[in-house]
Amino acid sequence: MEATTGDLTDPLINHADGQLFLHEAFKIIVEEVLCKGTDVKEKVCEWREPEELARLLDLELREKGEPQENLLQRVRDVAKYSIKTSHPRFFNQQFAGVDYHSLAGRFLSEALNTNLFTYEVAPVFVLMEAEVLRGLRELVGWTEGDGLFCPGGSTSNMYAMNLARYRLYPEVKSRGLWSLPQLTIFTSPESHYSVKKGAAFMGFGMDNVILVKVDDGGRMIPEDLDEKIELSKSQGAAPFLVSCTSGTTVQGAFDPLHRIADICDKHKLWLHVDAAWGGSVLFSKKHRHLMKGVHRANSVAWNPHKMLVAGLQCSVLLLKDTTDLLKKCHCANATYLFQQDKFYDVNLDVGDKSVQCSRKVDCLKLWVMWKAVGSAGLEQRVDKAFLHARYVVDQMKKREGFQLLREPEFVNVCFWFIPPSLRGKEKNADYQNRLAKVAPVIKERMMKQGTMMVGYQPLGDRVNFFRITILSPLVSQKDMDFFLDEIERLGNDL
Amino acid sequence: MASSTETHIEDNDPLDDPPLDFAATESFLRQAMTMILEDAVKKATDVRQKVCEWHPPEELKELLDLELRDGGESEARILELCRDAIRYSVKPTHPHFFNQLFAGLEPYSLVASFITEALKPSLYTYEVSPVFTLMENAVLKKLIQTVGWEEGGDGLFNAGGSMSNMYAMNLARYRHFPEIKELGNSAAPRLAVFTSQECHYSISKAAALMGIGTKNVFVVPSDKRGKMIPSTLEEQIKSIKSEGGVPFIVNATAGTTVLGAFDPIDEIADICEKYKLWLHVDACWGGAVLMSNKHKLLMKGIHRVDSVAWNPHKMLMACLQCSAFLVRDKSRLLQRCHSARASYLFQQDKFYDLSYDTGDKSVQCSRKPDAFKFWLMWKALGASELEQRVDRALAMARYLADEITKREGFRLLMEPEYANVCFWYIPPSLRDLPDGPEFQEKLHNVAPVVKERMMKKGSMMVGYQPHRGQANFFRMVVISPQVSRQDMDFVLDEIHSLGKDL
Repeated sequence: MEATTGDLTDPLINHADGQLFLHEAFKIIVEEVLCKGTDVKEKVCEWREPEELARLLDLELREKGEPQENLLQRVRDVAKYSIKTSHPRFFNQQFAGVDYHSLAGRFLSEALNTNLFTYEVAPVFVLMEAEVLRGLRELVGWTEGDGLFCPGGSTSNMYAMNLARYRLYPEVKSRGLWSLPQLTIFTSPESHYSVKKGAAFMGFGMDNVILVKVDDGGRMIPEDLDEKIELSKSQGAAPFLVSCTSGTTVQGAFDPLHRIADICDKHKLWLHVDAAWGGSVLFSKKHRHLMKGVHRANSVAWNPHKMLVAGLQCSVLLLKDTTDLLKKCHCANATYLFQQDKFYDVNLDVGDKSVQCSRKVDCLKLWVMWKAVGSAGLEQRVDKAFLHARYVVDQMKKREGFQLLREPEFVNVCFWFIPPSLRGKEKNADYQNRLAKVAPVIKERMMKQGTMMVGYQPLGDRVNFFRITILSPLVSQKDMDFFLDEIERLGNDL
Repeated sequence: MASSTETHIEDNDPLDDPPLDFAATESFLRQAMTMILEDAVKKATDVRQKVCEWHPPEELKELLDLELRDGGESEARILELCRDAIRYSVKPTHPHFFNQLFAGLEPYSLVASFITEALKPSLYTYEVSPVFTLMENAVLKKLIQTVGWEEGGDGLFNAGGSMSNMYAMNLARYRHFPEIKELGNSAAPRLAVFTSQECHYSISKAAALMGIGTKNVFVVPSDKRGKMIPSTLEEQIKSIKSEGGVPFIVNATAGTTVLGAFDPIDEIADICEKYKLWLHVDACWGGAVLMSNKHKLLMKGIHRVDSVAWNPHKMLMACLQCSAFLVRDKSRLLQRCHSARASYLFQQDKFYDLSYDTGDKSVQCSRKPDAFKFWLMWKALGASELEQRVDRALAMARYLADEITKREGFRLLMEPEYANVCFWYIPPSLRDLPDGPEFQEKLHNVAPVVKERMMKKGSMMVGYQPHRGQANFFRMVVISPQVSRQDMDFVLDEIHSLGKDL
């Protein structure tokens, strides 16, 4: 068909076709992703080698389009070969399961295609974001404060670093780091890698992230923090931030916040708590003690898309500050977006608090879910995850071949599976090497069979062990029993 | 485990409760979807409906019942809340939404978004996102081909064009001084960034975030058509060098935010080659011209640059976010610059080819598969349809500019080069005033009032801004293929109708 740009009289597209496609595609999504994807009788994953998968998907982008039946088949294929992260036997990452209210919120966010930079284009969501942040801050223990939703916990951690730097040296915004002493950041080796990535990105340098010792539970040792800060100062550097973790990635450890806050107060450092993973304990009266002292922090990163099952992305940065530090630190005052002569209160234009320009609406998914189940419902979800972890730990203690790294503090259960052939052979010289090879093989087998997904990793001098996190509201006791049986089944012959 | 929890299982153990299952909530989800398709898709794109239903914030808060409580609510109530959220939201998919650099609804992209939300994948490893890893590769490859890098390249999709621009700065810095990654900025001399006065503000935000400092972003003046002046760029580079500064990157813009201007890439590339500077092109807005045989000349020379930022969520209408960052490099620079090699995600002993784990190229950890939104729509439409859309949008902008020139009371700022049509509306009462401070001041007050009126009426949304000391002018942005000549006429009629009494 020739280009009809000469005739601008009619719209070029037919809405009815588009709407029909949406309707048909949604049916497939419901069937293939939501029904089958959460059904234990179906596989968690349909493994294919990359080259084969590329062929199956027919990835090439061409000149001509395709008819709707082809496209609907493509939708089916994408569903088929994608990992079913909502499946009751997906235990691989710090997110899992599905909350259908949040899902509705997510579909709605996509359909509206709202951009959250000004009140004029996003009136509902500017207000909603403020309300959700207020609710989360309340759980931290702050009656006032600031914050925003970020595209991920890594960004939240970077923002904290930026604010801490700006508070101490506001001239860094215009002059850069060149005029300043060497700034140093303190974190534990169990912290998330975004602290280091952020340090490199922001010009501090990864070497200026000083690692503080942890105890055998993986928690930061405050005395060592104090010493390291003193040492850094004596070397002429300027410590400015401690980034501690509530719920470390692998072990789920919680750094002792009160004592760390004491040290930060003493040295006048910004205290940031990366609670991306562990923050949700704040919903639970039973477990919030793990984050005792959090109200003393300056900033908290928290990802509801993890334990609260809000769906990616849903990450917040919460601040205690009430001096508009976030905006002052980040603003560029672009006159084409933040006009000062608008007909409403321009403080509602939150865009200049962000380092992003376009920003998605990530608050709706959490808001709908929170409205639907209430804080009580979210508390139950958190408590249940702890009970799951407790159950799995108890079962492992009863079963031969399962060796816990340690008693978990949170819901990460880290363990080695020791196949019969290695049991009792700990003293052998090659024991560690052979043990290290077990998890990767079991992982490969589980993925190729599609029965479940669990992650493994080494940590320090500890060889590959599994880490299971059980947080999905779709998981039942049967699934956990299955998980233990399946590890045995897949690994007994090793 | 904390000692406060029991180690025995209680009688009414929640573990015995049946887990959440789909059948129970299927009805809710279907109802939600029906409502979304009806209210957020169908009605939102219907020209007979309003673009927005304006309420001041205090009123809107009451209407929305935002409060988060301890107890949950019924499903019927939840659906009602969602309905209200839709009702009071601005509809950027409406045919008369021209306020930003994105607009319209692309159903194929939306389906991809829905699939993404249902699957909730994270794009850091092949093991967790096999399909989307390959899709991102395929889309990047195609975009790189379109840019014209025959030897290939690298890239990834980011959480926005601002981030893409930051990546360019970071890679350029790393290439010049790799030790900065470990040692920080202080390991290098004072770095200097060059950009035009019309560039996007993310350049400034990037310099601040990355510890470079906004004062080290040197702004090169643009000519009357909003294009960077290459000779001035060169002068500035020489000047900074003579002061001991170290230029390392030039940011050229292909499609500036306000005027839609295209910097002369070929000439700027000459200068960058001469001084060995990284050349990044922020084509977030203008990149779409590369799909058009007729208009791609606007980006002549693009094959010579080091990196490109391109947002398909703008002119090409993929759903937000859809932002590509492309780099002309085959030495795994992106990976080397950003990697932290976390052993809990990027295990080296996996059973598949590890080069498919792209996560360490990014500064993000969890990352959404935004490329898929563009892949599905490209499959559906094909490059030729995308080309047609771009050509049509620019032809529409041309039509609008011509109409403005013909109509009394409308004055064009400049002939549009792209899809931005900038103009003033001069109400009758001002038309006989001589140009001068009084006229400018009165003119400056026109657009904000017209904007307020159009929003309260809900008939359309068009942006305005002051620029380079000029009185507020409107910026019409023409994107969506659902828009036709009548809609352009409507815009002008409506502005006149809303503003003629001023």
